[in-house]
Amino acid sequence: MSFKDVLSPFTAWKHVLETPVTIKDPLTREAADRYRGFHKNDIELCIGCSSCEAICQNAAIDMVPVKDPKEGDSGLRPQIDYGRCCWCALCVDICMTGSLTMSNEYIWFDEDPDAFRFIPGVDAKSWDSSEKGYRREGGRRLSGTERVEMREMEPDLRIGNFDEIVAGYDRAEAVLEADRCVECGLCVATCPAHMDIPDYIKTIREGDYEHGLELLYNSNPFSEVCGRVCTHNCETACAARHEGDPIAIRWLKRHITDQVPYDRYVDIVGKPDLAKTGQKIAIIGAGPGGLTAAFDLARMGHAVTVYEEKEKPGGMMRYGIPEYRLPYESLDRDIGVIEAMGVKIKCGVRIGKDISMEKLKADNDAVVLAIGLHLGRSTRVPGSESPDVEKAVELLRRITAGEEVPVPKKVVVIGGGNVAMDIARSMARLQKQRHGEVGITVTALESFDHFLADEEEVVESREEGIEILDSRGPQEVITVKSGKNKGKVKGLRTWRVDSIFDEKGRFNPHYDEGDEMVHDGEMVIEAIGQVSDVSLLGEKLTEALEWNRGRVKIDHDGRTSEPWLWAAGDCVKGPDVINAVADGHRVAQSINQVLVAMREAKA
Amino acid sequence: MSKQKLSEMTTIAEILETAVGFERAAEAFYTALIPKVSKNVRYLVEELAEEEAEHVRIFSELAENPDVHAHMADAITRPHADRKFSDAVHTPELGDNPDDQAVLQYALMREHIAMEEYTELAANTEPGPLHDAFQFLANEERKHKAELEAIYYQIVHSGGV
Repeated sequence: MSFKDVLSPFTAWKHVLETPVTIKDPLTREAADRYRGFHKNDIELCIGCSSCEAICQNAAIDMVPVKDPKEGDSGLRPQIDYGRCCWCALCVDICMTGSLTMSNEYIWFDEDPDAFRFIPGVDAKSWDSSEKGYRREGGRRLSGTERVEMREMEPDLRIGNFDEIVAGYDRAEAVLEADRCVECGLCVATCPAHMDIPDYIKTIREGDYEHGLELLYNSNPFSEVCGRVCTHNCETACAARHEGDPIAIRWLKRHITDQVPYDRYVDIVGKPDLAKTGQKIAIIGAGPGGLTAAFDLARMGHAVTVYEEKEKPGGMMRYGIPEYRLPYESLDRDIGVIEAMGVKIKCGVRIGKDISMEKLKADNDAVVLAIGLHLGRSTRVPGSESPDVEKAVELLRRITAGEEVPVPKKVVVIGGGNVAMDIARSMARLQKQRHGEVGITVTALESFDHFLADEEEVVESREEGIEILDSRGPQEVITVKSGKNKGKVKGLRTWRVDSIFDEKGRFNPHYDEGDEMVHDGEMVIEAIGQVSDVSLLGEKLTEALEWNRGRVKIDHDGRTSEPWLWAAGDCVKGPDVINAVADGHRVAQSINQVLVAMREAKA
Repeated sequence: MSKQKLSEMTTIAEILETAVGFERAAEAFYTALIPKVSKNVRYLVEELAEEEAEHVRIFSELAENPDVHAHMADAITRPHADRKFSDAVHTPELGDNPDDQAVLQYALMREHIAMEEYTELAANTEPGPLHDAFQFLANEERKHKAELEAIYYQIVHSGGV
């Protein structure tokens, strides 16, 4: 020990006369303005995405139920345990909505140790109204806010053909987009088929596309199709949409299918090694609902035959959706997987004509009605009976079938939904091929605020030179009254729609008769709505069945009032591929339960 | 409906009783149509028959109500706007087995004609109890027509997504 070591403790005495830097009364001292104190949560802004729970390194956050879940909101809210929290504020930084913040309050006395585990925003605290503290400034930084743009064929290149418009992501683009996903899973609840979205997105990051494909086909045998034309409701529930673009879930799904060679599909999807049950199921209609049910039932060991009236399977996916949105080879790949499960598809068979419903019932253990919505509605305005007035769904079918269709230079379309856009864009392509220019006018009853068609459809239609007029009510199809062209269509007369819905949101159109327009056209195409062709049921079965406002009545599982008959897809739920897929799963489960019970009863 | 017959009425009760007769005729028409239409469309015709029966009940009760004029005067201070039709509706030939759209178009046109005639009768009547009675009936038909319009859109214009 040196002499200095002996003296140095006494040198501290030199500070005895200095002003102390410690705080005499720490209990009343306010923290710095941006101090990371106790948590606050805006309970209405929070969507319960669990990002805070996932990022917390101390497992200090648990998501607990506080309200009923709804679309885009799990109903869960973070509960914070101050026995674990280190106030690092990662939870605040990752928060997808900016609802989670921290006050600058840091003093809390309580005798009950459990009190320090609480739900901010639900359990009222004195700091709830505190303005100071820590919050994430300037938007999200830990997860990207901008969607990777999808490359599309330019309008002047695509208008003369039916080639697919969307290019698909390459690997780099897909990984960038997948990286934005925080795996909250809000999308899973919203997807009608409850696809395992966060997990298949994760496979993109990991480059494990075969596992991704397996996950896709576990819940959706039309993954190629849905990767292109799904209505992607999942994206409306995406947590990322709150301060940026939602994740491009649909395009990421497509990316997975693009990466896996088709000859690997069946091996990856797998065919369960089950004994044949010996039970038979007939399915009427080879659309998404019918074929999904067929896929599931075949994988359960049943013998499934699908009867399709048209020349090829696919239903509205083939005969309603134009090839520039959904190439037929993509559809055929999905159908090929379904057939590989042992499903027999018999095309060109009209039930009710070639085979009666009675025979189907007699020859099978269960029958599924999945007939879609293949008949077009007509406005039935004066002049609509002219042969130059076509229905969109019928015209789309003829175009797909390669039949000759009339292609005049000027065409007027009535309707504002996706079917109207599909037929307008298809006819525009045919006009371009035949006449070198596009002459299409779309007149919709709805205003752009209430438009039924997807926004991207409207944008792309306009890019292709199609005129879209909103708020126009059809009054008359104008025809030539005399001469050699008597009866030929000259155009459509419309009135302006001032308002379309009443204060309760019910349809209640109000017209301005003074604002009349005549839209020139040698053909008018009606695309206002569709209906099922239920005539195949026959009078006896139609009478026997219970109905629900024009549609066959079904229970939760898709079973009709006739115990041998189930119904699925557009004909009972309205038009949507992914909803039809979900319906197919539902009826397959229900049928299987009944068939198992039948087998057990016989045993 | 007979405009001539109604224009000869001298009391509110008479007008309402005559209107009840029209509604009864409509109810009978729809009731007779029920077995003719396919079962998947039958709900629509049944609902129309029920609504006409409801009109019969309302008008009959009003005719017997001593405060009928006060009631109607209150009702017509809240007039329904005439909204025309979503598609330019013209009365279809219903035939033996009409579909849902034909039934709805028929019903819409029937309500429209009734509304127009009551409105015209009101316009041709001096202000007072009889004028108010016609206004009241026109308003009732407008309300019914608006309800049918909403159903028409739901059935015919939905699905074109």
